[in-house]
Amino acid sequence: MADVDASPVSPSTVEPAIRARGLVKTFGEIHAVADVSFDLVPGRIYGLLGPNGSGKTTLIRLLTGMTRPTAGHAEVLDAVMPDRAILSRIGYMTQSDGIYTALTVAENARFFAATYGIRDHAAVLDVLKVVDLADRQQTIAGTLSGGQRRRLSLACALVHRPTVLFLDEPTVGIDPLLRVEFWAHFRQLADAGATIVVSSHVMDEADRCDELLFVRAGKVIARGSGAELRQRAGTSDLEQAFLAFAGAEAAA
Amino acid sequence: MNARRVQALVRRVVEEIRRDRPSLALLFIAPIILTGLVTFILREGSTPVVHAVIVGTAPAEAPIVDALEASLRGAGATVAQAPDEATARASIADGSATVAIVLPAGPLSASSRTITVVTNGLDPSGDATQLAAVQKALLGAVTSAIGATLPTIEHTSVYGTPSTDQITNFAPAIVGFFAYFFVYILTGVSFLRERTGGTLERLMATPVRRSEIVAGYTLGFGLFATIQVALLMTWVLGSVRVPAIGPLPAFSVGLGVAIAGSPVMAFLVVLLLALGAVSLGIFLSTFARTELQIIQFIPIVLAPQFLLSGVLFPVSSLPGVIQPLAPILPLTYAIDGLRQVFIRGADLSVGALQLDLVVLAVIALFFAVIASLTIRRDVV
Repeated sequence: MADVDASPVSPSTVEPAIRARGLVKTFGEIHAVADVSFDLVPGRIYGLLGPNGSGKTTLIRLLTGMTRPTAGHAEVLDAVMPDRAILSRIGYMTQSDGIYTALTVAENARFFAATYGIRDHAAVLDVLKVVDLADRQQTIAGTLSGGQRRRLSLACALVHRPTVLFLDEPTVGIDPLLRVEFWAHFRQLADAGATIVVSSHVMDEADRCDELLFVRAGKVIARGSGAELRQRAGTSDLEQAFLAFAGAEAAA
Repeated sequence: MNARRVQALVRRVVEEIRRDRPSLALLFIAPIILTGLVTFILREGSTPVVHAVIVGTAPAEAPIVDALEASLRGAGATVAQAPDEATARASIADGSATVAIVLPAGPLSASSRTITVVTNGLDPSGDATQLAAVQKALLGAVTSAIGATLPTIEHTSVYGTPSTDQITNFAPAIVGFFAYFFVYILTGVSFLRERTGGTLERLMATPVRRSEIVAGYTLGFGLFATIQVALLMTWVLGSVRVPAIGPLPAFSVGLGVAIAGSPVMAFLVVLLLALGAVSLGIFLSTFARTELQIIQFIPIVLAPQFLLSGVLFPVSSLPGVIQPLAPILPLTYAIDGLRQVFIRGADLSVGALQLDLVVLAVIALFFAVIASLTIRRDVV
């Protein structure tokens, strides 16, 4: 596993894989996402960090083209979303497991592979090995434990080897040991050139990301590596840092 | 549309349903039990017993009372006499009689004489049966009293035979309704699970098109609808005699309902109807957030069709205000088409059946388009 702070990619020299430009999404009176703009480059893991209801999931749905922005636009791999052709290069792990509970583990993975036009059983087996479910292929997904379901959900998002990966709360319900393995795998994918966006409300996971985006009330209130953000907030604790930025934002 | 993706969707839908045994039972066994029950009720329903009380004490009435009594007894009724209407009413109230016939105190042949028939009143349709029995007996009594013989009426029809069992008329409607009902419920609930379980969100993030999802569902559920309709048709039309074995008496399997036309043609009608029900289920799942709400659509979507499309009441007997609703309901065309095949023996050369098939196909296509347009719904 690579050291988290060692990613050498400089944002200025690399073409961004994801661009957000003035993204706004309102649901009636609620501003779920309020004027968000950023560039995210390949080879890095980005953490969207914020409390529940801060707009992380809506932001991911805007970036994946699952919902249309009220204003602004999102680009993934130079395509304005939603763009069907780009979808085969995007992996999306939803917050809910999004697996078919009546089907077996292998059937789930094979089905999602087939939606991407992949009929290669070896690819399916490979991804099940990654999430440590290779020996549970014939198990009905509905009988899996919460953590195993989460792993299957991840496998279904990875089965087509995407270059841009959106993971909405991927480690919820996963035991600490497997969590370490998950992050090691995310790092491997990033090192191979993938752009990874992980949302979380768990601050202790945040340091595994190359860069963090603090999200509050639909806005990105701060951006930087964990160390940078702590330093700027003058605290040794990310949670305190988040609160400091949130306080500054509210005062502004 | 990508055939391989549709194939993957079909396989998935089929696998899911195949493993869901309660749903399979609902789809395959429930219609068979219910059609069997309806047929049993219609065929073996018992004729209500008539216990008549005649009130008619005037000497002039004696011949007609005797003739009426004979006529009623001839039809299997019991007959008693009462001195007045109040006593007769008391007998009906205490349950010892089912109907009272109160004759006027004068010769029946005089003009503007009224015969009063008293029934219980708690069961209107049972009362109608009592009244019909009394009318028949009266007619017999009067004609024999005046020494005349009534001409007999013979009823024939252009299509089918009017006197065959009621199930011949009912079976087509039942087959159509059950296919529609169960396919709608299953698709609606399955698609709702797709929405609430997060798999639809995930599917939308793959290159799968909405039209491919509708096609996958239509073909997947279409397969089960095909099996269901084939089973149901075999059950309704077939009649296999099982000989007596040991202590078991001989019995027959299948309802043995007569069909004048081709079962294949009837099958085609139901299949088109069922395909429309798949898209309807997908479409209506847009408006439901829970499985209970899918059930709540039954009174809105299915019950009116049950009442207005000719299952129970002929479309021509509906009140004029609601009659125009019948031609916009898919079930109207399916039931008409099935009756055309079952009773008239219609084939593809018959215009009425052609119309039914075309309308059903258009409705199925219309809802397929609507379903694919509404698959995606922003979650608030």
